[in-house]
Amino acid sequence: MPQVRIIAKNFMDMVASLPAMKLDRLYQNAFICEAILRSLPPLAKKYVVQILFFDGPVSGKLLEQWVLADGVTKHRVAIDRLIQLRIFIEVSDKKRESSYKLNQTFQANLRKHLTNGGVLPRETMAAVVKLPNLEELDTYALEQWEVGTSSMDRDAPRLTEGGFQFLLMDTNAQLWYIIREYITNSEISGFLQLGIYSLSHIERGTDPADLISFLLELSFHVTGEAYNINTLTEIQRNTIKDLAELGLVKLQQGRKESWFIPTKLATNLSVSLTDSSSRKQGYVVVETNFRLYAYSSSKLHCEILRLFSKIEYQLPNLIVGAITKESLYTAFENGITSDQIISFLQQNAHPRVAERLPSVPENVTDQIRLWEADLNRVEITPSHFYDEFPSRDTFEAACDFAREWNGLLWEDSKKMRVVVKAEIHMNMREFLRGQK
Amino acid sequence: MTSVPSKLYSDDVSLVVVLLDTNPFFWTASSSLSFSQFLSHVLAFVNSILLLNQLNQVVVIASGYNTCDYIYDSSSDASQLGSEDGRMPSLYSNLLQKLEEFMIKDEKLGKEQSQRAIKSSLLSGALSMALCYIQRVFRSGPLHPQPRILCLQGSPDGPEQYVAVMNSIFSAQRSMVPIDSCYVGAHNSAFLQQASYITAGVYVKPQHLDGLFQYLTTVFATDLHSRSFIQLPRPAGVDFRASCFCHKTTIDMGYICSVCLSIFCNHHKKCSTCGSVFGQAQSDTSSTSDLKRKAPET
Amino acid sequence: MTNNIAEKRRQQEEEDDEEDGDLDGWGERSYADERSWEALQEDESGLLRPLDNKAMYHAQYRRRLRSLSTASNSQRIQKGLIRFLYIVLDLSRAASVMDFRPSRMAVVAQNVEAFIREFFDQNPLSQIALVTIKDGVAYSLTELGGSPESHIKALMAKLECSGDSSLQNALELVHEYLDKIPSYGNREVLILYSALTTCDPGDIMETIQKCKKSKMRCSVIGLSAEMFICKHLCQETGGLYSVALDESHFKELILEHAPPPPAIAEFAIANLIKMGFPQRAAEGSISICSCHKESKVGEGFICPRCKARVCELPTECRICGLTLVSSPHLARSYHHLFPIAPFDEVKPSRQNEPHRRSQKTCFGCQQSLVNPGNKPSLQVACPKCKQYFCLDCDIYIHESLHNCPGCESLRAS
Repeated sequence: MPQVRIIAKNFMDMVASLPAMKLDRLYQNAFICEAILRSLPPLAKKYVVQILFFDGPVSGKLLEQWVLADGVTKHRVAIDRLIQLRIFIEVSDKKRESSYKLNQTFQANLRKHLTNGGVLPRETMAAVVKLPNLEELDTYALEQWEVGTSSMDRDAPRLTEGGFQFLLMDTNAQLWYIIREYITNSEISGFLQLGIYSLSHIERGTDPADLISFLLELSFHVTGEAYNINTLTEIQRNTIKDLAELGLVKLQQGRKESWFIPTKLATNLSVSLTDSSSRKQGYVVVETNFRLYAYSSSKLHCEILRLFSKIEYQLPNLIVGAITKESLYTAFENGITSDQIISFLQQNAHPRVAERLPSVPENVTDQIRLWEADLNRVEITPSHFYDEFPSRDTFEAACDFAREWNGLLWEDSKKMRVVVKAEIHMNMREFLRGQK
Repeated sequence: MTSVPSKLYSDDVSLVVVLLDTNPFFWTASSSLSFSQFLSHVLAFVNSILLLNQLNQVVVIASGYNTCDYIYDSSSDASQLGSEDGRMPSLYSNLLQKLEEFMIKDEKLGKEQSQRAIKSSLLSGALSMALCYIQRVFRSGPLHPQPRILCLQGSPDGPEQYVAVMNSIFSAQRSMVPIDSCYVGAHNSAFLQQASYITAGVYVKPQHLDGLFQYLTTVFATDLHSRSFIQLPRPAGVDFRASCFCHKTTIDMGYICSVCLSIFCNHHKKCSTCGSVFGQAQSDTSSTSDLKRKAPET
Repeated sequence: MTNNIAEKRRQQEEEDDEEDGDLDGWGERSYADERSWEALQEDESGLLRPLDNKAMYHAQYRRRLRSLSTASNSQRIQKGLIRFLYIVLDLSRAASVMDFRPSRMAVVAQNVEAFIREFFDQNPLSQIALVTIKDGVAYSLTELGGSPESHIKALMAKLECSGDSSLQNALELVHEYLDKIPSYGNREVLILYSALTTCDPGDIMETIQKCKKSKMRCSVIGLSAEMFICKHLCQETGGLYSVALDESHFKELILEHAPPPPAIAEFAIANLIKMGFPQRAAEGSISICSCHKESKVGEGFICPRCKARVCELPTECRICGLTLVSSPHLARSYHHLFPIAPFDEVKPSRQNEPHRRSQKTCFGCQQSLVNPGNKPSLQVACPKCKQYFCLDCDIYIHESLHNCPGCESLRAS
C-alpha cells in the first residue's frame, strides 16, 4: 500500500475528527462545503447531490436501491464518511430504520451554489503594475518547493526512514503531509522546523479549524491573480507568510499595499484531497535490462532516483541510470521497501509506457522484490534448547510431542539435543515433568 | 495492485458535452415545460457537474432550428480568467449572453425558409461538433478527462438527418464515447434511443418535467466509473426503425437496394442512390422468394 | 508530441475497427520493427525532439483522400454490399512452416478472426463460410452464416494441418455452394494459400472457367511465393492476388478484403429486397420466442409484420419469412453512399481577405487556427458550407465521422 494515499486520506480524517461544533462552523463557509464535497467518495457525492433538494429525512434503504449488488460496501463506506463528517445526520424513525438528513448549513450553502453559481472568495486587485505570468509563477512555486524538499532531510544528521518515504510521495501528498504537521503543530508549539523551512509565523494555539478553512478557501482563488492582503484576518496574514515559504503563494509589495498571488500548489490543494491528485505526467521509463531513463531536468528527481539506482549520466533533459543490486541494498538499508520503489516507478511512469500493463517490466519488479527478500534470508524464531535427556525414550517422546505441537525446529538424535519454538516451551515443560 | 485501491475512492474526471435543444418551434408549442424553466434546471445541473470535481469540464452546444453553435465552454472560461477555477460566476453571464446571440442568429437564418411538416432541431450538426471537440480532447494527451455527450432534446426526430445522425453514433461508438439522452418531448425519440443503446449511454424520458433537475443529477451526473456499480435506468424498448431515403418517413418495413442498401418505403424501378436498375427475380433462386417478392415487370 | 498522440489515437481507432486482433506477446516484435529513432530530429541546442511530421502526415492523407475521391468520382457509387464470401484456409503441411511466427497457420487463424469481425462490421447483410484444405481434400468447416462468433469458434476448434493442398478440390466445393445463392448477392472466394503446389484430381483450368462463368470473384493471398496458377485464377475471375511478406503485411492484405469491393456490382443483379426493422422489446417483457420455441424474458426483437419474437438480428422471421435487420446495421455502410467532399486547402493569401479574418477557430473543435506569433496555421475549408477546419478535424471528419459539422449545422433548404 503506497504511503501516499494514507496521508491524503488522513487529512480528511483530521477534518472529520474535529469536534461537532467546529465542524458545523466550518460548513458556514461555502468554499469549505464545496471542497469537502469534492473530497468525498463518488457515491457519497452522488447521495449528497441527489438529496440536496429534499427537506425531510431520506431512508438509507432508498439510497441503497440505487446501488448494484456488488456496490454494497461502497454504499457503507459512503454513508460512514458522510456521518463522520457530519454531512449526514442520522435520524431514526418509528420503524427503527435509519434515515438521513443533510446538515442544514451544508445543504443551504450547496443549494445556493447550484442555483446562483459560485463566486470567488475575494475580489482580485485590478490595478497591479506587473504580475508574473503563469509560467514564471509555476517555476517559482516549483523552485521554492523543491529547494525545500530536496534539502529537507539532508540537513538532518542521518536520513530517517520517514524522510525517504517522504521523498517518494508525490508533490500533493507531500504538501498535505507538511500542512498536516503544520496544523497539528500550531496547536501545541507554534513553531515548526521542517528541513530548511522554519514556519514560525503562526501563533500558538491557533484554532486548526481556522487554518483548515483558510487553506481550503485559498484553493478557490485564481492562480496568478493578485489579492490584497488587507482583506485577510490577522491570523490569515500570519499564515500566508509561512505559505509563501512553501511556495503556495507569492508575496509582493507595492508602494502602498501588498498582495499575494496564489500559485498552482495552492489552487491544487482541494483537488489533491481526492485521489485524482496523481494525475500528473510521469517521466520514468524502466527497461527490462534494469536501465532507467528519466525525462527530467529536475535536480530533485535526480536525487530521488539516486536513492535506489545508480545514476550513470545526465543529459540536459534526461537522466540515465541503472537499478543494481548495490543501489537497491543502500535503499533497503535506509528503510525504503521494495514496494515503495515499485509504486514510485509505476506512479511516475512516462506516458509512453504508462499505457502498457505492467508499466514497469515484470522481471524488474520481481527482481527488486527478490533482492529485498534476500536480505531477509535469516528468520529469527524465539526458541528453547533442551539437552541432557535422561533416556533415549524420553528424548524421542519429547521430539514427538514437539512435532505434534508443530514446534520442532531442530533435533540431534545422536547427542540427544532438541530446539523447540518458544511458544510451546511451557507445554513442553509440563510434558517432560509428566514423563518423570 | 497499487492502482486498484485508489480507483475505489476516486471518480473520473468528466467532460460533459451538453447538446441543448433551442428549437423555437418546439418550445413555443411545449405546454408542460417552458424554455426558461428548462434552462434553469439545466444551469443548476451544469453547476452540479462543475461542483462535483474541480477538474470537471462542461461544454454546451445549442442546436437550433437553422443552425447550431458552441455557447459555453467551462475550460475557455477559465483561461480567460487565468485558471481552472473561478469559472462559476461567468457561467450565467457568458452562457446566457451567447445563448441569446445564438437564438437571434437562428431566427434570422430562418426568415426565408419554407415551412416544414416536422420541426426538428439540428441534432446531427450538434453531435458532429461535439465529437470533433471530443477528438481534440483525446489529442490533448493521456490525462484527458473522460468525455461523454448528453443530449437534452425535445424536438421530434428529423428523418432527413438520419444518415448523419447514424454516422455520428457509429463514430462515437468507435471512440467509446457514450451518448446519454434526456428527451423532454411528447413521444420517444428513435434517434436518441438508438444513440444511447449503441454507445452504451442512458436514455431517459422523464415522467414529470417539473422535477427535471432531479432526473438530471441522479442519472446524468454519474461519471463513467461509477456507472459500473450504480443502478441506472434500463432501456425500455428501442425503436430500431429506419427512415426511408425517398420520402424521409420512418418505416418499420421497407425495400432495400441490394447494391447499396438504400432504404425505400415502396417499390421503385431504379435505385435513386446508386442508379442500379432492379431486375426480375431469377427463377432458380425463388426458393427464398420472400427476399425478393414484388419484383417489378421489366 | 500532440500529433504523435493523435496519430497513436488514430492507430488505436483503426485497431478498434479491426476488432483488436492484437497478438499478446507480440509487442516486443512490433516494438523492434517500429524504427522509432527515425521519428526524431535534433534541434539547435542538440536536444532530441520528435519530428514534426504533422504537415507530412496530412499531405499523405490528402493524397489518399484525393485518389479515393477520383476513383469514386463517377457520380454513382456502386458497391457490392451484399456479399457471400467463402474463406478457404490452406491447412496442408505447408501451413506448419515457421517462417511466420509462431507458424503460418497460427498467423492465418489470428488474422482470419480479426478479418471476420471487421467483415461483419462493414458488411452487415453479408455472409461468410469457411472451407479448409487438408490431405488433398477440401472440407466445409462452416456453412454460410452471419454470426461471427460461430465461425470463429469452429475455426479455432479445427486448427491442425497435414498432407497436400488441392486448389481444384477447394474451388469445386465452393462452386457447388456458391452457385445456389440468390442472384443479387456477390459471390466471392478468398483463398489463404500456404503451399507452393497443388495436387489436383483433374484439369484445374476447367474449374477456373466454371468459376468465371458463375461470376465468382476469387482472390488469393499467398504466404510463400507467387504462383502462376493462383495469379491466373485471380486474373480470370477478377479477384486480387497478393503475397504476404510478413505478419503485418499479411494482416494488411487480408483486411483489404473487408470493405465492399467497388467494381463487382455488375456481377450481381440489382434487386429490391423487402426487409423489416424490428423494435427491441423492453427489458423484462415476457414473450414466446419463435426461434427457441419457449418463453423468454426481455432482450428480444419483434417482427413488424407478424409480431413474432426473435432473439437475434439479422435473421429471417420464422413465422412469415421476412428478412429482419436492425437499421443501424444498414446504416453502418451509408457513409459509402454519401461521402463528404474533400476539403479545400486554404491558401495563406486567402486567409488575409478581410471577410475571412473573422473565423479564427476551427468550426469543429474550436481549436485556434492561429499559431502563436499570430501566424495562421494550415487549415482547410469545406467547399459546401465554407466553414474552416483544422487539419486534425479534417482527418477525423473524413476517416471516422463522415459528416461535415458545418453542413450539418445549416438547415438544407
